[in-house]
Amino acid sequence: MKEKLEALRSEAMNDIAAVQDEQTLDAWRVKYLGKKGALTEILRGMGALPAEERPKMGQLVNEVRAAFEQAFAEKSDNMKNAAKNARLAAETVDVTMPGKTNKGGSLHPLNQTLADMIDIFQSMGFDVVDGPEIETDHYNFEALNVPADHPARDMQDTFYLADNLLLRTQTSAAQIRTMETRKPPIRIICPGRVYRADEVDATHSPVFHQVEGLVVDKGITMCDLKGVLEQFAHEIYGKDTKVRFRPSFFPFTEPSVEVDVSCPECGGKGCRVCKGEGWIEILGAGMVHPRVLSGCGIDPEEYSGFAFGIGLDRLTTTRYKISDIRLLFENDLRFLQQFEGGNVK
Amino acid sequence: MKISLSWLKRYVDIDVPVETLCDKMVMSGFEIEGIEDLSATMSNVVAAKIVKLEKHPDADKLQICQMDVGGDELVQIVTGAQNVFEGAIVPAALHDSHLPNGVHIKKGKLRGVESNGMLCSGEELCLKEGDYPGAEVYGILILKDDVKVGTDMRDVLHLNDVVVDFKITANRPDCQSVLGVAREIAVALKTEFRKPEIAYTTVGGDIADYIKVTVDEPDICPRYMGRVVKNLRIGPSPDWMVDCLRAAGMRSINNIVDITNFVMLETGQPMHAFDLRDVKKNEIIVRRAKNGEEIVTLDDKAHTLTDNMLVIADGEAPSCLAGIMGSAGSGIKDDTTELFFEAAKFRRDSVRKTARALGMRTESSARFEHGVDAGSIPYVLDRALSLIAELDCGDIVDGTIDKVNGFTEQRVIKTTASDICALLGVEIPVEKMVEILNRLEIETVADGDALTCTVPSFRDDVEGRADLAEEVMRVYGYNHIVGTPMRGAVVRGQLLPERRKGDALKRRLCEQGLSEIATYSFISSKALDTLGLPADDERRNEVHLLNPLGEEYSTMRTQLTTSMLTVLSTNFNRKIPAARFFELSKRFVPKALPLTEQPDELPLLSIGLYGEGEDFFTLKGVVESVFDLFSAKPAYERAAEPFLHPGRQAKAVLNGETVATFGELHPDTAEQYGFDTRVYVAEIKMEALYAAKQSVILYKPLPRHPAVERDLALLCDADLPVATIEDAIRKGGGKLLESVALFDVYQGKQIEDGKKSVAYNLMFRKADGTLTDADLEPVLDKIFRLLEKIGCTLRA
Repeated sequence: MKEKLEALRSEAMNDIAAVQDEQTLDAWRVKYLGKKGALTEILRGMGALPAEERPKMGQLVNEVRAAFEQAFAEKSDNMKNAAKNARLAAETVDVTMPGKTNKGGSLHPLNQTLADMIDIFQSMGFDVVDGPEIETDHYNFEALNVPADHPARDMQDTFYLADNLLLRTQTSAAQIRTMETRKPPIRIICPGRVYRADEVDATHSPVFHQVEGLVVDKGITMCDLKGVLEQFAHEIYGKDTKVRFRPSFFPFTEPSVEVDVSCPECGGKGCRVCKGEGWIEILGAGMVHPRVLSGCGIDPEEYSGFAFGIGLDRLTTTRYKISDIRLLFENDLRFLQQFEGGNVK
Repeated sequence: MKISLSWLKRYVDIDVPVETLCDKMVMSGFEIEGIEDLSATMSNVVAAKIVKLEKHPDADKLQICQMDVGGDELVQIVTGAQNVFEGAIVPAALHDSHLPNGVHIKKGKLRGVESNGMLCSGEELCLKEGDYPGAEVYGILILKDDVKVGTDMRDVLHLNDVVVDFKITANRPDCQSVLGVAREIAVALKTEFRKPEIAYTTVGGDIADYIKVTVDEPDICPRYMGRVVKNLRIGPSPDWMVDCLRAAGMRSINNIVDITNFVMLETGQPMHAFDLRDVKKNEIIVRRAKNGEEIVTLDDKAHTLTDNMLVIADGEAPSCLAGIMGSAGSGIKDDTTELFFEAAKFRRDSVRKTARALGMRTESSARFEHGVDAGSIPYVLDRALSLIAELDCGDIVDGTIDKVNGFTEQRVIKTTASDICALLGVEIPVEKMVEILNRLEIETVADGDALTCTVPSFRDDVEGRADLAEEVMRVYGYNHIVGTPMRGAVVRGQLLPERRKGDALKRRLCEQGLSEIATYSFISSKALDTLGLPADDERRNEVHLLNPLGEEYSTMRTQLTTSMLTVLSTNFNRKIPAARFFELSKRFVPKALPLTEQPDELPLLSIGLYGEGEDFFTLKGVVESVFDLFSAKPAYERAAEPFLHPGRQAKAVLNGETVATFGELHPDTAEQYGFDTRVYVAEIKMEALYAAKQSVILYKPLPRHPAVERDLALLCDADLPVATIEDAIRKGGGKLLESVALFDVYQGKQIEDGKKSVAYNLMFRKADGTLTDADLEPVLDKIFRLLEKIGCTLRA
């Protein structure tokens, strides 16, 4: 009987090694482990054994059964794994194929630059205010120390809508509206669209954008102005950027300066972008003219302030190295989509 | 303002390279518009003498010249000119020379005869008669006999000079003059400024015997001065004066006219010289023109004047447009013997308005518009007379006419050095301030910290402490300003709600694949015609520019759709297969027309789409997302925009007001914009959405009891709006009905013509327990009843 059992074990082990599919495996299980299977049959023959051999044989049968069950379990697992692996292998995709998504749109590059500027100035405590694009002569000129006969009116050819109404030529009008409605300390920027009668070309547009800044408080100095503009320049152009003041003239500031930054292209060595100067002009600024302050009911003996006007369009074109300002208003999708990444900061 | 270095050097020593000079001037407030090296215009052109002249053997019109060019050997040059002769000194462009007209001369053969260069005409050297006598003669330029053979033509023509173009800001009319710029250079270079000395003698007589001046308009003409010169000896000006004028872009006319121009450029004060013969009744009246009065100006143009224009008239008629230009007959002629010099101040707005109205702009009017200094006029006249004396071209009659109508000669500003420093944030020693201000001719005396500054009349722009601070700082150097970080309370700046909401809106649209565009706020006045809007449409109430750049940019927009269509069309024509755009901008709505006050500027959103997969409902999806963002639930109704597809357009109505219209573009409009694809546009008025109070978000408990689902298949008339069906379902469903979702609309096989099949998924739920059939039964019955009423039957 022992021989029979050993013969069965080796037969069964041979058989299971050859098993390839679940059906055959199940047949194997029925054949060797089933209720009417070979092992059961041998177990039935136990009765014919002498009593003293029975426990030993019984143990042996149990051993063989355990071996069969283990073999079955292993085989079954192996086959399941093989099947799973085969399925996974068959499901392999080309990971370089494009993802399925709704392509996002992009904010206009002007507004991306503006968003960055707003962020910078907000962090320095500037409130962001708004003003009308159609302005009165008073807010656009008179209150900014540009009386009717002032030659500065020639500096910016103005579009008129009626005798006293015009398209604002500068966001500086917001200075007046702010000082009339707020008391110092004042710290605001006013972004907006402005208009001048310039023919359209690669660097001029009759419609463009400015960000006006105004700070009024006790003891404000030109060094404060420079500090704010340096921080702005560092965040926009990088922290090694240098800021330079150059004397200039604006009717509503005194002293007035043009503000240059070291050329972001060449770092100041001189290149095509800065026309060999090493500097590019980015904005006009100055200390608020005492007459402008007093016109708004702020005592220039007590308070001082600074103002600046940044050209958003020029900042945008220099920043992205856009060669022609007209691209900003043409809105070619292939142009706009280049700025999609800019939505994330 | 273009000034040659040699002119500047008459008043100030410039011992630095021109680049250094320019850098220093930029840093003291004078931008440089250009630097022109006159000598760079030509090279290797010399004065040469024709030693021998022969006929060309093979060409009748050519002559072979043996030229003495100042070297040991003669140079053979062939010329086609006929005005040359042996002994003539002429400009010869030698081998490898460059001419100002861009021509490069090399040796070659003319009809077989070697020619080592070219003889030049005045035209080839870009000369005019005023530059060199005979320059405009047809043929080779014959130089004066005293020109040394071999001299570089640049020396002959005084071209070894550099012209710098200084940009003068509007606050510095005093620097619209060579003296003003020279004074600034002297300050920047810390060197001496030499103002020309006055030196002339008079020959007696009395100006009153020659002329009488009356100023009728002292308000517009605060100062009028004049002198008389007789026994004029009119002739050419000296070379130095011709050169100075030429560098500034002016031609030499004759010594008298040149003196007026020279003095204008030198001092910034325009002058006029009248031929006394032509001053009728020996009388000059500064008066307003009479309406309809006429004048023919020096440039031979006739002008009809109005009574808001100032003229200088004689006893009969206007002989000058004050400050702008003289009449054709009033000026100096070759045979003029007696003149009256005028130097005056006319109010800048008067000159500006007159010049504008007549479409004129002259060197003179430009200076008056920026402002001239009444206090400097006596010096200017004296300077002109000194030049008369220096050039010995006339005898000066005694007596000066000076009609003054009050002007402040000098302004005194009292301030302190510490106040100036406080504004700048920089410590500048008092002595340094005093030194700088005095160099600028602002006479400054310090008493401890206190400063008393006497501002010269030519610095009308210096009015107070801030101006003094600027004067000090620009000379002291802006590099001394060191940035200090923002001081004060640490707060984050605030955004206006409208901007914050607009930003959120833009993000929402970007997420849906819409890209933001930016277009001009003014459009063509005909743009609305492309939309076929009726005459009484509110969008027709447009504000027009009085002085637009062109019709194309003449009208402030009341809608954004035409701009959007233009952008979509540009993209479509560039073969871009699909595009989704939005623009968030303003519409300009006048309160009344014609405009009397500022119009309303209201926020407007424009959306435009085209491309595969886009249809009315993708557009509506975007529109809905906007309303969802602002928690608004508008009703959608059919709309009737003439530029949209009549069957595929809708309006969104919120609180009885139409806040959006959208739909597919009408094929006729599409054709006008050059589309052959379907295009979808929307416009949403944002002011109501911005103004709506955003409700505070409060958590609602998640449902704890199961929902019951029912699918409903209905048959109804094809044109019954699903909104009507949904309304009926909601009304019937009451508060047990949690949601209604349309999942199928079908027309075609198995559905009778004119009908459609509509399928809904309904979810019912009770908040406080499990929903039973008994609960649901009456609700479903009510829904069915209501559906039947609107013509819906249940499909089996």
